[in-house]
Amino acid sequence: MTDVDRDLKRAQFEAEALVHLDDLYGLALRLTAGDEPWAEDLVQTTCLRAYQRWSQYEVGTNCRAWLMTILRSTFINEYHAGRKQPTPVDYDEVGEWSVFEDRSPEDPEARFFERVVDERIVAALDALPDDFRLPLVLSDLQGLKYREIAESLGVPVGTVKSRLFRARRQLQRDLYDYARDAGLVS
Amino acid sequence: MMWNWLRRRRNDPETPDMITCQEALARVYEYLDGELGPAWTEKVRHHIETCRRCWPRFELERAFLDHIREQGLPSVRARGLKERIQTLLDEVDPD
Repeated sequence: MTDVDRDLKRAQFEAEALVHLDDLYGLALRLTAGDEPWAEDLVQTTCLRAYQRWSQYEVGTNCRAWLMTILRSTFINEYHAGRKQPTPVDYDEVGEWSVFEDRSPEDPEARFFERVVDERIVAALDALPDDFRLPLVLSDLQGLKYREIAESLGVPVGTVKSRLFRARRQLQRDLYDYARDAGLVS
Repeated sequence: MMWNWLRRRRNDPETPDMITCQEALARVYEYLDGELGPAWTEKVRHHIETCRRCWPRFELERAFLDHIREQGLPSVRARGLKERIQTLLDEVDPD
């Protein structure tokens, strides 16, 4: 590779890929539940891998989505390699109860979650047990289908379905409890 | 009378099988995620369109998920990360 080639590719990478750094770090933080050193590592590894596979990327296609795919698979590999063990969840504890049953749909406070600031939502996401958090992040924040989540986490589709169900109910309850404690709803 | 009417409705190819509120609510997320097969999607859709109790519940669940999608993934600036990555890239060749 000539120096001109290299400089050209480097400039292209900076313009197309490195502009998404803050988005990548945001995703890495949610995958690692706010573990900053690990999240930074993930973003570095992702960028390095993307740079070394730069010829596979078609200029003008969705670079951000491509980078996020690399970041997710890097994370999943490290996660399975046992860098972090999931905390066991007491499934009976969570239940299937919906906080919306507490509120009449006409009650404007039924939309209590809209009064909760984003930092609290992010904190509530990070506080979920891994078994709940990861399906939720991959589904709701990354738009993956159940089958794709099942493949990446190495669990059956039925398990994804039930964990996602409970994850969302748990998140509702946590945010509802917070909203009540903070006096955002009566 | 009522039973005959119900049976007719159930056998009517234009009317999807009726399901209970409980059956519909158990599938709320699969429905909103577009993960129910065509037959169940149709049953649930038909149920919530005609059930005054379930329709608002489904709308609340949908609004909740939309809100999480909008607020749950802020982009975050890590201080010095870009510079560290640029230094790393100096060491390797792009493919």
